[in-house]
Amino acid sequence: MGGTDAKDILGLPKTPLSLTQEKKSRPQKESHRKPDGISREVYALTGGVAPLMPSIDVNQLKRRPPADEKVAWQWLPFTSSARKDDLKLYHWVRVVNNVPPTGDYSFAKYNKSVDILKYTDEEYENHLTDPVWTKEETDQLFEFCQNFDLRFVVIADRFPVSRTVEELKDRYYSVNRALLRARAQSPADVANHPLMKEPYDITRDRERKRALSVLLSQSRHQEKKDAEILAEAKRITEMRLAARRAEEPVVSANENAGLDKADGVVPGSSVSPSSNSQLPATAVAPSTLTMADYASTLASLRMLHVYLRTYGLEQMVQAASSAVGLRTIKRVEQTLQDLGVNLKPKVPTKTVCDEHLELRKEILTLLNLQKQLQYKESEGSSHREGSFAAMPDTPKDRVFAADPFSFGAERPIKKEQKRKGPGRQADTPSPAHKRPRKMKASDL
Amino acid sequence: MYGGDEVSAIVVDLGSHTCKAGYAGEDAPKAVFPSVIGAVEGVEAMDMDVDSTKANSEDSKTESEKEKGKRKLYVGSQALSYRRDHMEVLSPIKDGIVSDWDLVDNIWEHAFRSCLMIDPKEHPMLLAEPPLNSQQQREKAAELMFEKYKVPALFMAKNPVLTSFATGRATSLVVDCGGGSTTISPVHDGYVLQKAVVSSPLGGEFLTDCLLKSLESKGIKIKPRYSFKRKEIRAGEFQVEDVDIPDTTESYKLFCQRMIVGDIKDSICRVPDTPYDDKSYSNIPTTSYELPDGQTLEIGADRFKVPDVMFNPSIVQTIPGMEKYADMIPSVRGLPHMVMESINKCDVDIRRELYSSILLAGGTSSMQQLKERLEKDLVEESPHSARVKVLASGNTTERRFSVWIGGSILASLGSFQQMWFSKSEYEEHGASYIQRKCP
Repeated sequence: MGGTDAKDILGLPKTPLSLTQEKKSRPQKESHRKPDGISREVYALTGGVAPLMPSIDVNQLKRRPPADEKVAWQWLPFTSSARKDDLKLYHWVRVVNNVPPTGDYSFAKYNKSVDILKYTDEEYENHLTDPVWTKEETDQLFEFCQNFDLRFVVIADRFPVSRTVEELKDRYYSVNRALLRARAQSPADVANHPLMKEPYDITRDRERKRALSVLLSQSRHQEKKDAEILAEAKRITEMRLAARRAEEPVVSANENAGLDKADGVVPGSSVSPSSNSQLPATAVAPSTLTMADYASTLASLRMLHVYLRTYGLEQMVQAASSAVGLRTIKRVEQTLQDLGVNLKPKVPTKTVCDEHLELRKEILTLLNLQKQLQYKESEGSSHREGSFAAMPDTPKDRVFAADPFSFGAERPIKKEQKRKGPGRQADTPSPAHKRPRKMKASDL
Repeated sequence: MYGGDEVSAIVVDLGSHTCKAGYAGEDAPKAVFPSVIGAVEGVEAMDMDVDSTKANSEDSKTESEKEKGKRKLYVGSQALSYRRDHMEVLSPIKDGIVSDWDLVDNIWEHAFRSCLMIDPKEHPMLLAEPPLNSQQQREKAAELMFEKYKVPALFMAKNPVLTSFATGRATSLVVDCGGGSTTISPVHDGYVLQKAVVSSPLGGEFLTDCLLKSLESKGIKIKPRYSFKRKEIRAGEFQVEDVDIPDTTESYKLFCQRMIVGDIKDSICRVPDTPYDDKSYSNIPTTSYELPDGQTLEIGADRFKVPDVMFNPSIVQTIPGMEKYADMIPSVRGLPHMVMESINKCDVDIRRELYSSILLAGGTSSMQQLKERLEKDLVEESPHSARVKVLASGNTTERRFSVWIGGSILASLGSFQQMWFSKSEYEEHGASYIQRKCP
């Protein structure tokens, strides 16, 4: 039924097949169609099928109150047992057959209060005296506890003598404990009372609150500073790890070679043994950081288990060139093109990729050396012009190789100071860095 | 209703700017009018209904030697908008407390008889009171209600508690930016923590005055509505003529000017996102506003300067004409600082809960961008571990009347009906019993 309506609306032609289907389904639906209590259209909204679990009892929907009852609503007075006086307030009441409903006010049952122990003066004299608390104060405390239902925060707020919440709680619970003990027949009776089993400990509460207030009083600025310092510390530890990894290039190479033999599936790793063996030989390596980068790239590649060689090559190239600037990368690529080599090898077999990477590295080294040479020459010329002692021309490679070791030694000392970034570490060591040199040149 | 049982109680909230009254169980007050009274002192009051007053004045002439002089009081927005000679505008509430009970009496009378048209004898009354109300004031109010109006039952609830109930919370920090003052009060489990209530005199009326002085210093004269007449010279064109009325009092003139400037403030003022400084806002594009006399105002920097007074009170010193407040300003702090102060005065355990339920209420809180700016400032200042959340109902009416709405909810609850302070209890224990009954 619904189908034809929809088709009508959409303007679709009714196929003869569907018509016959409609005819067949219609007699079936006839039997379902008339549930009592709901009209046909409303039933159709559910899809023409009754719900599995009827949510509303259909018979109830059209039920009318029995005809013999006469219901009226009247504005009648009522009293509540929760009130101590006899105030009569008025409200609308459903009156059946002129008999107003009897019984207490229906909301009176919600009048619950806490049972507060009451003590006599004698009991106070015998058990409850306290150096800090007078009888009047204790009485008032108990009265407030009764009025405010043991809401100690509010009691502390309204208490005429200013006492802290912990003090009030302490006094209340210790009085209760003393009373329980005094009134009990034997100590065993009260041992299971919750007040005796877990006594209120004021020092612990004070300590807890103090800690909480310290936590809550840290403003966001302080939080930010703390976070910054933590991030710095983390970065420094990472640097140390990286440097430590760089200290053992041979070890890692062997390791990698070993792994490579074992793990034939991972082609990219084979790049590393050859490159590693090359590295110590080259005088100025693209800094020690790349060792760490290699290790990390290898790790990331290994995670993939299966990947394209070109992808692996890209990763390697990126790792190699991460420590150098964009300009250098461009120059490397320029050199490659001059030599007639494609930027990406056309046939990326293992050997080809290896060779390609080798080539890139060698070009990098070459460019680096060229730069160094340029600087040296310019300094040499400026030295010649000026009249001052020439800087000891330490071979950079030796110093550079020594530096990783010195890093480790200096770092614990420097760890206390807050440093801005990795660049600044090289303030004192490493004459290989151009900046300190340049400063010296211009100073003098 | 679930827990509801209407007993046709009346809820009255007398604020410093407007008075709201209506039936409990409804969602908005029926009677809303300014809580100021026009008083014409003296016997020779010049009114419209001369005959009746002449009769009155003759009677009271004999009494006038004993009393100050019979004064005729006009309450309600209709009565006030008609200009009368020698009519002084008086406010019963000064600094948050009632100073003149006679005026309060008249206001209540007007609310009950003229606006709601009820007989107070038949309806329990729920009154809203400021959180730092003194015992004396409460007793006086109870006395007045029971003796004069003979109500069957009374309850006095504090404003922040009612606002809290209006949003369905038992614990919250209520920031009530009203007309006369701004009060920040923490509510815990339905009770106000009185020692932690922070209040400042910067309210909506103060901001209106700032704007008024600022405009005057720029040479713009705000003409009250009664002081000019518009004559049609040609079809559709009007010319404004000043009408000279010498007998109008200063207070009435100020009252009318405040009404106009209040409207300007409501419609175009916005709280700036960052603290206001003259340089960055000097080139702000202006918004135009047409005054009733046809003048068009171009308001630029003032749009942002005036609302920022709430966050940075020291700006007031830069507004010419507001120097008399300069000495009070150093003790007043901005809104976010007051919130922090109030929370820090509370017990440590509840602070987190207070931070996450900060409620905005009051007429001034519906200023644009106030909620966002407050939230932003609080997030910066507050500790990281506390999640700051400022809640305000989106509806302006609800914000203005949140106290009244809370009262309406409270008075129509079934379990509240046992808490009324009834006439018999008053007769038995006296007015001081109210302290016990209405904590």
